[in-house]
Amino acid sequence: MVRFKNRYVLCEVVSEDPRCRQCIEDRAVGLAVREAIARAHGDYGLACCSVSFTVKYLNAYTGTVLLRCRKDFYRLLCSALPFVRQLESRNQRYPCFFNTLHVGGTIRTCQKFLIQYNRRQLLTLLQNCTNEEERRSIRQSVLSCSLTEEQSQSGDEEDDDDTETD
Amino acid sequence: MARADPPPPPPAAFERRVLRSAAEHHYLRVRLELPDGGARPSAAQFKQLVVTALRELHGEVGAALPVDVLTYEEKTLSAILRVTSSGLVKLWSALTLLGFYQNRRCAFRVLQTSPFLLALSGNSRELVLD
Repeated sequence: MVRFKNRYVLCEVVSEDPRCRQCIEDRAVGLAVREAIARAHGDYGLACCSVSFTVKYLNAYTGTVLLRCRKDFYRLLCSALPFVRQLESRNQRYPCFFNTLHVGGTIRTCQKFLIQYNRRQLLTLLQNCTNEEERRSIRQSVLSCSLTEEQSQSGDEEDDDDTETD
Repeated sequence: MARADPPPPPPAAFERRVLRSAAEHHYLRVRLELPDGGARPSAAQFKQLVVTALRELHGEVGAALPVDVLTYEEKTLSAILRVTSSGLVKLWSALTLLGFYQNRRCAFRVLQTSPFLLALSGNSRELVLD
């Protein structure tokens, strides 16, 4: 038996409008990406990418989206992602764009990258914050994220735990 | 006695060129088939038709392919297209899957294709042998 090889594209939805967050949902994201592929690569590209295309994971709060497509055609998907310009749901449209963070072969590598990426983002936030109140809250969240990870992922990612807790 | 300078070598009658890398362009001779009694596209409309076919199948990326119409005969509806070699498959498939011109059935027949334009000057399939 051979397995079908996929590529997982991790991207973040960037929007000026804070109301766009409520718009981030499975169907809307999938439709917008499909539309962009159809515009950029036509019927052929859309059919190639649609083979196993799904939105695997979606976090409306942080605006993170994980897309899956077949390995042979992920270049078509990646090249079409910059052409997504708006999300539409419930007859409302909000301009936004997709920022590709990572392309991985498994969900697991994408998750690892996302955890690392978010931790790095917290540190840059800590450097850029202006008043003492923000600084304290961010410090709190840095501490809490490393603590919860040790508890929840003790079975999953044991090799990473000792480096991340100190 | 000084010898006169040797005369310059005569210009070569032919020049041999060897192309090691892949050819830059490919050329296609195509014929457009239309039902009788309809409007025939002009050269500009013909190019537009080709680009439309590319856009339909391969999107904006396909429509941006460098495709040139080198010759077009409105009487016989045949043309010679030039395309960069990387876009040959895209152009050929787009032409094959084109089905309509101005809401009427049409079809593209690709008669010949070659990386050398000179090869399209004759078609061995149209030779009349005794």
